[in-house]
Amino acid sequence: MSANDTRARLPIASPAQVRRAFLDLLAADKGPAVQVLVMYTLAAAFSVAVPVLLGRVVDGIGAGWGAGDVNLWCGVILACVAVQFVFSRLGRRAGYRFGERAAARLREDVVARVLGLPLDRVEQAGRGDLGTRTASDVNTVADLLRDNGPTIVTSLIEVLVLYLALFVVDPLLGLVSLLTLPPLVLAARRYLRQANVVFTAQRAAMSEAAETLSASGSGARTVAALAMQEERRALGYERGATLLERFLRLIRLQVEFFFLLLWLNRMQLLITVVAAGLWFLEGGLSLGTAIAAITVVVRIANPTNGVMIHLSEFQQGSAALARIAGVGLIEAAPREAEPDGNDLVLDTVTFGYGDGPDVLHGLSLHPRQGERLVVVGPSGAGKSTIARLLAGIDRPRTGTALLGGVPVCDIAVEELRRRVVLVTQEHYVFTATLRENLILAAPDADDARLVAALRRVDAGWAVAAGLDTVLGPEHRALTTAEAQQIALARVVIADPPIVILDEATAGIDPASAGNVEVALAAALAGRTVIAIAHQLQAAASADRIAVVEDGRIAEEGTHSALLAAGGVYAGLWHAWQGD
Amino acid sequence: MPSRPRSGTGAPPLERPLTPLRLLTGLARPHSGRIALGALYFLLAGGASMSQLWMLGRVVDDGLIARDGGDFAFWLALMAIAVTAQPTFWVLGYRQFNSADAANQRVIVERLTDHLNTAGTGVRGRVSAGELVNLPSEDMRKAAHSVTEIGFLTNNLAMFTIGSALVWSIHPLLGGIVIAGSVVTALVAGPLLKRLQRRQADYRDMIGGLTAQAADIVGGLRVLRGIGGDLMFTARYRERSTALRDRGYDVANSSSWIHALRSSMPIVFVAVITWAGALLAVGGALTIGGLASAFSFATIFIAVSGNFIISANYLVASWVAAGRLTRFLAISTDVDDQGSLRGEGGELRDPDSGLTVPDTGLTVLVTAETAPAMEACERLARYRDSEAMWGAHPLEAYALADVREQIMLLTDEDYLFEATLAETLRVGPDAASDAIATACAGDVFTALGGSFDGRIAEGGRNLSGGQRQRLRLARALAAGPRALLAVEPTSAVDSHTESLIAARVTAARAAQATLVVTASPLWLAHADRVVWMVEGKVRATGPHAGLLADPEYRRLTSHEEPA
Repeated sequence: MSANDTRARLPIASPAQVRRAFLDLLAADKGPAVQVLVMYTLAAAFSVAVPVLLGRVVDGIGAGWGAGDVNLWCGVILACVAVQFVFSRLGRRAGYRFGERAAARLREDVVARVLGLPLDRVEQAGRGDLGTRTASDVNTVADLLRDNGPTIVTSLIEVLVLYLALFVVDPLLGLVSLLTLPPLVLAARRYLRQANVVFTAQRAAMSEAAETLSASGSGARTVAALAMQEERRALGYERGATLLERFLRLIRLQVEFFFLLLWLNRMQLLITVVAAGLWFLEGGLSLGTAIAAITVVVRIANPTNGVMIHLSEFQQGSAALARIAGVGLIEAAPREAEPDGNDLVLDTVTFGYGDGPDVLHGLSLHPRQGERLVVVGPSGAGKSTIARLLAGIDRPRTGTALLGGVPVCDIAVEELRRRVVLVTQEHYVFTATLRENLILAAPDADDARLVAALRRVDAGWAVAAGLDTVLGPEHRALTTAEAQQIALARVVIADPPIVILDEATAGIDPASAGNVEVALAAALAGRTVIAIAHQLQAAASADRIAVVEDGRIAEEGTHSALLAAGGVYAGLWHAWQGD
Repeated sequence: MPSRPRSGTGAPPLERPLTPLRLLTGLARPHSGRIALGALYFLLAGGASMSQLWMLGRVVDDGLIARDGGDFAFWLALMAIAVTAQPTFWVLGYRQFNSADAANQRVIVERLTDHLNTAGTGVRGRVSAGELVNLPSEDMRKAAHSVTEIGFLTNNLAMFTIGSALVWSIHPLLGGIVIAGSVVTALVAGPLLKRLQRRQADYRDMIGGLTAQAADIVGGLRVLRGIGGDLMFTARYRERSTALRDRGYDVANSSSWIHALRSSMPIVFVAVITWAGALLAVGGALTIGGLASAFSFATIFIAVSGNFIISANYLVASWVAAGRLTRFLAISTDVDDQGSLRGEGGELRDPDSGLTVPDTGLTVLVTAETAPAMEACERLARYRDSEAMWGAHPLEAYALADVREQIMLLTDEDYLFEATLAETLRVGPDAASDAIATACAGDVFTALGGSFDGRIAEGGRNLSGGQRQRLRLARALAAGPRALLAVEPTSAVDSHTESLIAARVTAARAAQATLVVTASPLWLAHADRVVWMVEGKVRATGPHAGLLADPEYRRLTSHEEPA
């Protein structure tokens, strides 16, 4: 498991799958989505009426309108603005609400999917990747959905409506105004392609700086102890230099693109003025139409810039969505086998991680029901792997791991955990109340049962703190030993027929470790207990001891029989006793 | 600790206490030339942008209405120059300000780096892990950004001033309306925005909580799958997700007002200008070209007034980030470095607990509670100020660098940095091999590809718990300190290996002082001297065999078969 560089990464969705995921989000809330688009379009249409009607007023003044006519038409303009405001506000509100719902659906789906993932797959990929996908990637897409998405869509609709209005005012001038569009699209595409790389590089530089400096902080004592100041300084300065270099690269790119964007915007205006002017001078156009066309073009610049500036966010959102949708692409093999009874057996199994060599070589182990079997052996002998095979996390390469006559890996998770529970050194405490941390397996357990379980594992501190105490690093942080006690109390409450303890008491203070062992043994009396240990505390009182060396069972028997045999175990025991 | 040289581009040394303002001005000062030049460029860009709209009026009046081809061509040519000048000046200004911004990002990271060295162990417990991640990333970015934002502010101010003057020159009434419009937009949007920000702050907090919950689920995935609770956690997540959505609806209510106002206010003023302008035009007080110009001005630059508010927001964010940076930079070291004596060895004595460590041989400290033993070791290694003695003098009288070099504390908190195995062990290959052999860490060497160039991930993430522990031990042994104080150095190691480590460490460090805090008989078998500590005070000292007479001690250290 360690130093496993070729980790099987979690999949990332293809562009087609991302489009699909995006359309699914829209389709799930179709009615409101259509409403939003209609209101955005109406708002844009009424706002475009302003320059168009200005043209009408200009021609009217030319035709000798009085103040009354002007007041009438300008009143219409103001009314259009008022209507525009109403649609704009309602559309925005509906747009944000739509985004909120889509974001909520997205994050709830991801979390539900994560809880259904096959564990071996998650562990191969490393939990960091999955963590990023459920946290920052979800937030990126959510921000896009509820904030930038509506802005981009309104700007886009506004641009479309403005062009449409220009064609209505005068089709030929509409065509002329489109002249600057192809270079603008080309420039934007080029920028986006490059900017994506540079933005990613810049973010990477920032997180590297964060990682380096926070490591210096977390390891402050180690830096002091080993006089590493000069190295940490050099590394921190290097991170700073990288940040500067990446930022300058981005600036170069932006300077080029922003120049084109601003220049093309005003060139569009200039070209339209030239065309409208020449045509007016030739008598093909009224002054009002010319001015209406020109002022519509003046308006196009703002929403165009809005779309362009937010496009990179859209791109980042798509990348995040690809990673989120990737979680759904992980295949989970169906687990439908029904065990008959609780007989657990490993029969000549071999196993290795990933493409690595075998760590278990034809190993067989048969814990008898109700027995307390202790598995001992040096680090790296394969003890934890045995636990993983017994608990159905990994599937043996050859041989079988059976529970009640069927492969452990084929039993549905819900069914399996009623029968077998594995407790490892990795004792996770949730940021939740003590009660919520305990009742995982038995949601209906009453407080008396929880308190009794806590006492069983010698966790008097927890009883004193109360079941409503919120645990977790920002509330009540637990020591390793306390976290371990919580993990053990969970098992006592779950009360399965088979318990596998993988170094489950390794971090408890020497003074209390013994007490916990004894109490736990009492709590689990009558259950099948398979305890994996590198220390020998637990061995002597076991019904049977299996000594694992190099992926094989080297010795098996009771404490006294193994001592009498004078083999590996006897050697270990004497060393450990300090004889 | 010697003070480190500041970076060449950094702020000058500060005698007065650092404040956010001083931090920000300190960042800006080295770039005053760039800022002045950038401001000039932005001023020219604003002028070029606004003059185009004024020229538009001349094109209409002198060219079109007067039907004068020469004037038409003249004003168009002038406009074409302005159209090219505007983006040119703008990007030149943009580059000046952003280059200063980029340089500041580097300077802040360098200052934080230096400060981590200066404050040393003082940052322990004073800054959370999350803050340590945010300071060199988000806070750094926001504080550095202040320069760029001041640039944008200049640009907008230039556009506003020049634009207002030009509209005024077309007709004072229209100028008055445009200025009033900008002011009203800012006055209306400002307080609304403030309210929105308050709501958003709550909302952001809720997002943070929900994100943490998702992280919690991923972190405890094995527990949830292995023992149950997945349904309960899904339900809890859904509940909070729904609450967040509802809070989002509230935010949507206020933010839709603001966005609608921000898009409609300029149009309202455009309509008002059109109305007023049309009436003036009917009366002959305004030309049609002037009307078109005023309309264009209103369209472009009432939107500018919204930018003032955006700039103000960014500057406030810079200020807050600068405040956090300032607080971090104010953290000072937690142990004084006033001593000057050079360490010459001798017995280590901690009067608080009564613990003494002779200058040679293996001392094993046995205790039921690890925490007070750890504190005693921290006093002896000078990670806490105390009355501790080293030989004939108080520990404080020695130069700190010397103490660090000669007395080493080894705990599970020791950090493994991202580095090669050779860089981690910090000695030549022979000494490194010896240290690895003594710490029984051969499997670490193998796991990293059987080479000293194998890379260890940040925090030793690519190693197992047991491997990390033995690698830390190997690193401490390789450093060869005169005194090694090791707290539970083999708690994650199997008995067989622990027994080997105990024997090898004892042999390798026979001539130096070694203290091991443990109750393991495998270490006790090699102890020259055992100290038994109860509730932070030494109760008895002697050979292991002698102390075994006490049943309490016996229960703690001997692995008898439970009755």
